[in-house]
Amino acid sequence: MGILGKIREVIEGMAIHGQATSILRIKAQIDNLFMIITLGDMLGIPLLPPYYSLRLLPYMYPNIQTWKMYMLRERDVTDRIA
Amino acid sequence: MIGLKGLLERRPKLKVLIYAGKGGLGKTTLSAASSLLLSKEKKVLVFSTDPQASLSDVFERDVFGKGEVKIAENLYVLEIDADKRINEYVASIKKKIIDMYKLDKLPPDLEEYIDSAAAEPAMYESAVYDAMVDVVAEGKYDYYIFDMPPFGHGIRMIAMADVLSQWVEKITELRKQAYEYGRVAASLKRAKLTYEDEILNELQYIRNRIVAFRNIIANKETAALMVVVTPERMSILDTEKALEMFSSLGLEAAGIVVNQVYPPELAKRPETPEYIKNKIEEQRKYMDEIKRKFGDMVISVVPMLNREPKGLEALSIIAKELWSPSRALEDYI
Repeated sequence: MGILGKIREVIEGMAIHGQATSILRIKAQIDNLFMIITLGDMLGIPLLPPYYSLRLLPYMYPNIQTWKMYMLRERDVTDRIA
Repeated sequence: MIGLKGLLERRPKLKVLIYAGKGGLGKTTLSAASSLLLSKEKKVLVFSTDPQASLSDVFERDVFGKGEVKIAENLYVLEIDADKRINEYVASIKKKIIDMYKLDKLPPDLEEYIDSAAAEPAMYESAVYDAMVDVVAEGKYDYYIFDMPPFGHGIRMIAMADVLSQWVEKITELRKQAYEYGRVAASLKRAKLTYEDEILNELQYIRNRIVAFRNIIANKETAALMVVVTPERMSILDTEKALEMFSSLGLEAAGIVVNQVYPPELAKRPETPEYIKNKIEEQRKYMDEIKRKFGDMVISVVPMLNREPKGLEALSIIAKELWSPSRALEDYI
């Protein structure tokens, strides 16, 4: 990366990093909701007929592991403190 | 009784005949007989899925899982191997994931998930309905006759079609929203977004399939739901339940066919054994009940043959009564 690239990253970081992060967070929430709706039966919440929801599986594959981990994670009060 | 002939006169646009209800009452036989009748003038496809008590037996030809097989002039049979269809479908999904992400093999938990989804009974029904949509959408035939497997949860897809379709619309909206956010974030971070269009396309596809299935079954002008009943207590009760279920799904049975009925004149012959006479006496009681409960919905009464209804010749006897009944319903009482 050249010096210009570095400068660009720094300016980006100062100007829009926070914005980008919050946008990504919203997207992650929407994605989450989407996955519950379509692949919910993976967690025991059947909403779409599985015959059809399987069609979506290939495109969701990259997010499945993190999503399942996120959804099935045990939560307790210390989560809120942390 | 108006017979199948009368039903077609009443509904000239009829294209799809669906024989529904419990197993063992003769749905397959009546489907085959109907197809035989209609194929005299038009091109007919008769469709079944059940590997037991199947069209293969009735037509005395092995047609199971062999695609569309020509049985006679204008008469084609399609007996779907639903299990095979599911296996192929599931294998294609697995392969797609492996190819898309260049994996050696699927992670075990995902493999397990796909396999367990494939083993669900609803999967079987969905696969059958999906195959129905395929053949009707192709539009190669003038008449389609469906010998349906006994209904399970899958049929609720009809009631759910509207809900599901709105649901999929909502999901699509949600996806578009995610896409917008993703696009902004991606352009800010100069990253690439993947598969958004594909996901939207798949959602659209799913919605179209569900709606297409509902439109085939629920269109009263082009589709007729036929219920088969036999003159027995259980069968009458089941039919009442089936009619209730149909109306709760917003469907309406077009006609009822009474099957496996002993010819009443048998009871009057002196040489008829007491055994058969008793049976016919009992049958009269149930025929009366059928008349009281279903009345005008009964379009035909089909006789019990003195042998198994197999082969084209035996079928044509059944077909004749089905098409235009030789006596009134009252004559059986």
